[in-house]
Amino acid sequence: MRIILNNSSMVPIYEQLMDQIKNEIISGSLAENEILPSVRSLSAELRISALTVKKAYDKLEEEGFVVTVHGKGTYVAATDKQLALEARKKTVEDDFAAAVQKAGSIGLTKDEIMEIVRILLEE
Amino acid sequence: MVIIDNLAKNYGGFRLNVSMEIPNGTVTGIIGKNGAGKTTIIKAILGLIRPDEGHVTINGIESTALSGADKAGIGVALSDSGFSRYLDLKDVICILKKMYPTFDEDFFRKSCAAQGLALDKKLKDYSTGMHAKLRVLTAISHKADLLIMDEPTAGLDVEARNEILDMLRQYLSDNENCSILLTSHISSDIESLCDDIYLINDGKIILHEDTDTVLSNYAILKVNDDDYEKLDKSYILSTKKENFGYVCFTNEKQFYVDNYPDIIIENGKIDDLILMMTGGK
Repeated sequence: MRIILNNSSMVPIYEQLMDQIKNEIISGSLAENEILPSVRSLSAELRISALTVKKAYDKLEEEGFVVTVHGKGTYVAATDKQLALEARKKTVEDDFAAAVQKAGSIGLTKDEIMEIVRILLEE
Repeated sequence: MVIIDNLAKNYGGFRLNVSMEIPNGTVTGIIGKNGAGKTTIIKAILGLIRPDEGHVTINGIESTALSGADKAGIGVALSDSGFSRYLDLKDVICILKKMYPTFDEDFFRKSCAAQGLALDKKLKDYSTGMHAKLRVLTAISHKADLLIMDEPTAGLDVEARNEILDMLRQYLSDNENCSILLTSHISSDIESLCDDIYLINDGKIILHEDTDTVLSNYAILKVNDDDYEKLDKSYILSTKKENFGYVCFTNEKQFYVDNYPDIIIENGKIDDLILMMTGGK
């Protein structure tokens, strides 16, 4: 597992950790049933508190990405990759929706919005 | 598990009065300015001073009644190792073997070599950093379930501090159930190691929070006078007047991020916590 954390980011550390583990699961670099590092060893490696790692693991379990077997460790769950990808697509759509709404609130027209998107895509 | 129940200790004009808990398997940090009472708490846990009021128990045993065997199960690093300066490491090993039945000589020798502590050098010729490493190695080489460290990184350069913290991290990773209590006024040490933080000032606990919560929910807001007037101050913990306006400290970062997109919001750090909670108005 290759995790890079940004300590000065506004995104909480446990969320950064969750996102990166999710990415590895979706991309397949973490295979189903593979064991994740123990909470303490990952916290030592990343130099963050163990509770932060535990929080990330707990939330990943809530979302069905991993399973923790008490006394044994945390494993990558059998996830439906298609479903996981859909979920991520949904968050992108939500971000777009918010941007469109903001654009509407300051009176940008549909063409103007499309123009912004076109410029962004060309960059 | 260490439970401190309404511990009080009076020293002339100073009064310490705290309650806290160190559950098994957690790393707890006590931060506070010099003279806030950090070392007094540690001494009370170890039974080195008698509380004027209240109780301190370690796994259910009153700290003043701990037996030698109970104490051997605790790894301690105080501000002084207590070894005579005229001894060398070979002598220290003899002492530790007698003191701790579970002393792991092999681990101790290997770790000393890895940290560059020479076996036949007198302790009086050790540098500050070498003394600090020896104190920590003494505490972690007899498989204690509870480590109590008073300022393990005080007075060290950043590299030596990191080496000491890495030793503790390795110990935590090898001994999944062990707990650590440490005091420090170096906030980055606390941020990167502790699960739980107690901030004490003038003998009292003024804040107790998960490290994670401090780092993700606490923030510094920088506002000018006009914005300050308009600001909803429901979640402001403390405020300081500055040239440009006000610096406010909050434990509800998201509220201000969502409602005041134009003001400057910085992530809360533990240093800010100390400055704003002990000095602000």
